[in-house]
Amino acid sequence: MITFEKVCKSYPGSPEILQNINLEILSGELVFVTGPSGAGKTTLLKLISAIEKPSSGSIIFESQNLSRIKDREIPILRRRFGMIFQDHKLLYDRNCFANVALPLEINNMSLSDMNRRVRAALDKVDLLKKEKMMPITLSGGEQQRLAIARAIVSRPSILIADEPTANLDKEYAEEIMNIFYSFQQVGVTVIISTHELPSTKINFKRLQLNGGSIQNLIGHVQLPS
Amino acid sequence: MFNYLHNHYQAFLNGFSRFINNIGASVMMMIVIGITLCLPSAGLLLIENAGQISQNIEHEAEISIFLDRSVSKDQIDFIDLSLEKNSLIKKIHFEPKLIAWEKLQSKLDVAVSSSVSNNPLPDAFFISLNTLDEIKIQKLLDSLDGIDGIDSVTVDGNWIKKLRIGLSLIKLSVFFIAALLIIVLLVVIGNTIRLQTLTYKDEIEVSKLIGATNAFIQRPFMYTGILYGLGGGIITISILKLSVLGLNATLIKLASIFGNNIIFQDLPHRFYLYIVILAMLIGLISSYISARNSIQRLKIYK
Ligand SMILES: Nc1ncnc2c1ncn2[C@@H]1O[C@H](COP(=O)(O)OP(=O)(O)O)[C@@H](O)[C@H]1O
Ligand SMILES: [Mg+2]
Repeated sequence: MITFEKVCKSYPGSPEILQNINLEILSGELVFVTGPSGAGKTTLLKLISAIEKPSSGSIIFESQNLSRIKDREIPILRRRFGMIFQDHKLLYDRNCFANVALPLEINNMSLSDMNRRVRAALDKVDLLKKEKMMPITLSGGEQQRLAIARAIVSRPSILIADEPTANLDKEYAEEIMNIFYSFQQVGVTVIISTHELPSTKINFKRLQLNGGSIQNLIGHVQLPS
Repeated sequence: MFNYLHNHYQAFLNGFSRFINNIGASVMMMIVIGITLCLPSAGLLLIENAGQISQNIEHEAEISIFLDRSVSKDQIDFIDLSLEKNSLIKKIHFEPKLIAWEKLQSKLDVAVSSSVSNNPLPDAFFISLNTLDEIKIQKLLDSLDGIDGIDSVTVDGNWIKKLRIGLSLIKLSVFFIAALLIIVLLVVIGNTIRLQTLTYKDEIEVSKLIGATNAFIQRPFMYTGILYGLGGGIITISILKLSVLGLNATLIKLASIFGNNIIFQDLPHRFYLYIVILAMLIGLISSYISARNSIQRLKIYK
């Protein structure tokens, strides 16, 4: 589904962050991208979701080469991913409902469908009762769940989450991870970056990034479930 | 089709809610547009009125043709006939020297007439033209010159020409001022919209990240700009309408005192529509340019 071939990435005026990366993510997989801070986890996820372009090499997503994609095709591509950003990127001047509705507005969905879908997504992360509240009044875990609701509301086939449990207590972290697992169970490809692997026993693939600019495998660790 | 309309409906709602959320700035903006557009519109109103007056005067533009003292009856008939055949001439009035002399005598002291034994006045044609075109008039004068029995020809319409030129100069300067003010409005509205894009920077960024096109992000700002124009245009025509009504009320009061009947002509109603449409266009264009530029300049991912 997603293939990296000899992908390098550097930002203007800084050394290469990713060097010669090769990897493959299959449809329906649960993938953990691990590595210390600054290793390039966020960068890798941005490359997958066409937010950044590689400096060299090619990224193939369903036979489409993202390194040569036209600007006007990018929005359509991005709508296929459900993104959960490291800093949530919630809109603090809209209530929870309106935050989750944003991707559907972009998809030009009718109001009645939108209502139904947003409620379903909020219900999925157990925030339906707080739909009229402003995000700023939510706890950290709730904000993270709101971000997940926004990512899943347009029913993407790929969910990408950047350190979704980084600032959460252990019990909240597990709760969040369980939401992702449930999506993977129904066939969604889930890509999560994290400092440390979860303790839950579940099948997953692990992509290990080390030392910033050093390319690294990318093992295939399987734990019995 | 449904998608397209729905898209715009959504964008309109969004633009409208931004308009309401920043109602203070919105009202300020509309007042600025309304008052700024008043100036050229008032100019237009004056031009329309002056133009009507000059058109009324035009009917009285005249050429006076004085005949030789010794002109014969046949010659007069011939001149009359050739004038009648000329398509430039709207009205012909012949004044025999005797009648002219009588008129003059009745106007002046009777004593003059007794002291002057011979009638010093010639027969004359007074004609009014249906053109002010100098070349055509010159041609006419040339052809009149060749006719036997005509002594001299004078054109009385020159001052109208000057009035017309003056009017068109005023018209030109009103358009020039209008153009300048429209540019000012484009800049001012554009700047307001640019500030708004900064206010909604987060929303723009997130929208782009999750797949909104630039057109989608721009659209609500354009509707906000159109609403500014609509409000501003309505303010302009309200001020104009009230001014015309107020002015005419005063003129009517004066008329009852002085007995003359001048009424300030209101602009045709379609002009009011044009003003509102123009204002909305200005809002649309400036918000389009400004939103486009600042969204591109925000440079949050491609
Ligand atoms: N937009 C950017 N411009 C320049 N450098 C960047 C940018 N984004 C990230 N970096 C740098 O790239 C490196 C990797 O960052 P990142 O992908 O965020 O790592 P991680 O998510 O693993 O912590 C860091 O050194 C960071 O400073
Ligand atoms: Mg990161």
